Amino acid sequence: MAAEPAGPAELPAGLADPAFGNERRMIRFDNVTKKYKGDVVALRDVSLEITKGEFVFVVGASGSGKTTLLKLLLREESIDAGQIWVAGREVGRLSNWRVPYLRRNLGCVFQDFRLLPNKTVFDNVGFALQVIGRPRSVITSQVPQVLELVGLGQKGARYPHELSGGEQQRVAIARAFVNRPLILLADEPTGNLDPTTSLGIVSLLDRINRTGTTVVMATHDSSIVDQMRRRVIEIDHGRIIRDQARGIYGIDPSPSTTRGVPAVSLASGNATTMEPPARGERRSRTRH
Amino acid sequence: MPISIGYISRETANNLWRNRLMAIAAILTVGVSLSLVGTALLLRQAVNNSLNALQANVDLQIFMNPDTTSTSAATATVRSLAEQTPQVKKCNYLNHQQSYANAVALFRAQGEEEAIAALTVASTPPVFQCTLVQAGDAATVATLFNGQPGVFKVEYPAKSIHTLESISKVAQIVLLVLALVLLVSSVVLILNAIRMAIFSRRREVGVMRLVGATAWFIRLPFMMEGLVQGVIGAAIAVGMVVLGDFGIGALLHHFPEFQKAVVPSHDVLVTELFVVFVGIVVGVGGSAVAVRRFLDV
Repeated sequence: MAAEPAGPAELPAGLADPAFGNERRMIRFDNVTKKYKGDVVALRDVSLEITKGEFVFVVGASGSGKTTLLKLLLREESIDAGQIWVAGREVGRLSNWRVPYLRRNLGCVFQDFRLLPNKTVFDNVGFALQVIGRPRSVITSQVPQVLELVGLGQKGARYPHELSGGEQQRVAIARAFVNRPLILLADEPTGNLDPTTSLGIVSLLDRINRTGTTVVMATHDSSIVDQMRRRVIEIDHGRIIRDQARGIYGIDPSPSTTRGVPAVSLASGNATTMEPPARGERRSRTRH
Repeated sequence: MPISIGYISRETANNLWRNRLMAIAAILTVGVSLSLVGTALLLRQAVNNSLNALQANVDLQIFMNPDTTSTSAATATVRSLAEQTPQVKKCNYLNHQQSYANAVALFRAQGEEEAIAALTVASTPPVFQCTLVQAGDAATVATLFNGQPGVFKVEYPAKSIHTLESISKVAQIVLLVLALVLLVSSVVLILNAIRMAIFSRRREVGVMRLVGATAWFIRLPFMMEGLVQGVIGAAIAVGMVVLGDFGIGALLHHFPEFQKAVVPSHDVLVTELFVVFVGIVVGVGGSAVAVRRFLDV
């Protein structure tokens, strides 16, 4: 990978807050149940484990509980039963004032980008550092690096409305990653993009993943999941119905499908899947 | 975590500018209501001061018949009676000459030259000017001396004091009630201004929460916005109070008998500090409620 920008390799993930240690298990759900008002069960007795450096797809129909799962990691919502650990900390037991420090370890990307329209690309990314009290010098050194990484080195002075959808999502990824979080959460990041642009975004997430950052991506995009051949967790009506090491989008009848088996046992087997297949082919399609 | 002062002040200024109409409404209401508060407080002090001045001079005057002198038996009786009365602090006897001089000075101050012309030394009654332990006892003490041999009449300013007091009390109550109503509306206006600022910045707030800005980092610019509105309003009120004080002072200059009503600059300063304090409380209070109710952090 000669084209790989040097930036993130020099800075290991997890610099955001040393208090959240270098735990090997990044994410762990123990029998987590989440209900919304009116007894709608969003997640039902979910257990899973994601180790450092994994790239995980969370798939399932709309309303299956994918977004809820991501929200629980950020403690945007509270849980009704079970426990969630992120980087060795139990999320439910963090006091309120520590929640921002948890979130500094979790970069987030959404379908609708959530950029600030009145700020330039540079300022949008710098904003993420500014509001956690990082000094100006850190912003001026980190932002160009991360913009280079996402391929927008020349577009720092542009405003979001001057960019294409794919470029806007790259800005959002840069903002999520500029603080070098341990984990990057992406909720349907390609939902608003055409297939070619989507592949570019996923290859960028893949590049970020190879710096050691754990990536969890909720998606509907079957072609991306099928091409990447990474770990796939499928949720249906709030239950995990599949957790597969080198999965595809739909139900795969091959022996590696492990319906109903506790997820914990699968996590360790995942180390072999770090290299995605067919990388050369994908790259040739994304460079344009 | 250090919160940059530059960041806070920039954000606060931006917020104020974006919502300038609401901000101006809030600031003006704070200004008017605090002007009323300041005026009411100064009025009370002015009235108290003039009452004190009246009371400190003389609580009770016992006018003797003009035919008595300092050596008359009647004078001696009244003097000893005054000394024996526990409510009387001390009495000062003015003979014909001194009483005449006193009356001339008083009439001259009031510009009544004809009255001076009509006055003679012999016809001016000698007088005991008494101060009492408590000015409220004047009526009781007066009955003691009325009808004593040689006593012409007993006078005390209690009645006029009472009238002045009740008028100023009504004025103060009206002013303070008005001020209170306006203060409540300024809290509501500030609250609404902050609520609109929060609403117009909900995207930023969402991103800030997402990337892990602390609750106080998100709240502070909004709180500062309320504080600034309260303080600017208070500054307007201080200006109004200073101007008013100046104007009234100049006006009172033409009325020497009200000179004592002028509030010393020290008390004016204390009143103004109080006005600024109320402005801060109103601003911070309004924005604190808005931030609690409408800002999710």
